[in-house]
Amino acid sequence: MSVTDLLRRTELFSGLTPEQAERIAVLGKEVVYNAGDVIIREGDPSDEVYIICSGMVEVEVSRDTIHDVPGPPQFSSLVRLGQGQVFGEMALMDRGVRSATVRCADDDTTVYVIPQQAFWDLCDGDHHIGYIVMRNIAFDLSFKLRHRNLQVRLAGDTP
Amino acid sequence: MIYKVSYVIVDRPHPGEIVNLETPPRVGDRVQLGGEQFEVIEVVDLIPPRGEFAYLHVTCQPVEQDM
Repeated sequence: MSVTDLLRRTELFSGLTPEQAERIAVLGKEVVYNAGDVIIREGDPSDEVYIICSGMVEVEVSRDTIHDVPGPPQFSSLVRLGQGQVFGEMALMDRGVRSATVRCADDDTTVYVIPQQAFWDLCDGDHHIGYIVMRNIAFDLSFKLRHRNLQVRLAGDTP
Repeated sequence: MIYKVSYVIVDRPHPGEIVNLETPPRVGDRVQLGGEQFEVIEVVDLIPPRGEFAYLHVTCQPVEQDM
């Protein structure tokens, strides 16, 4: 399966024609990470968005950033993301710094990395592609929020 | 159909997972999440299907719970 075919099976590319998907796919490149590698770090500037082609990553936030806890960083794991999932999209949307650290969980995890500016340039230059992709990102963010809400609700049910 | 699945774990601190699958999980399935075995105890449609995607919420419990 080509990278474009694989990317077309991700929600980010849902609703795009093969030609439109290809226009986004050519902007990026595949990068392979191993377990423990930090792909993005909380607080860092952001200039790329990522799609998981295979493998697994873990999204973490440092508790000391919020509570100013002394000593080595303490991380809380928010979610694990697998094949087909997007990360780095919050900073793509708001251009802020990274809101979380994303660490590779499995060896040979392959992610597709798309530079933010090239992505924005394409969306600004073709509003139809831009509309579809932004709608897909909104769906993805909503899904992640629903996942988080359910996590909190079920945690509250645990004795 | 591509199934975008949100796995949430009960009875244990666990971040859960979000992953795309080609076949939907079913109640009673055993799944491996982060090196641990869990049993699927509930599968619900989280939001209506859109295009070729279906969106599922799957609740799991540790396998040890029923031993």
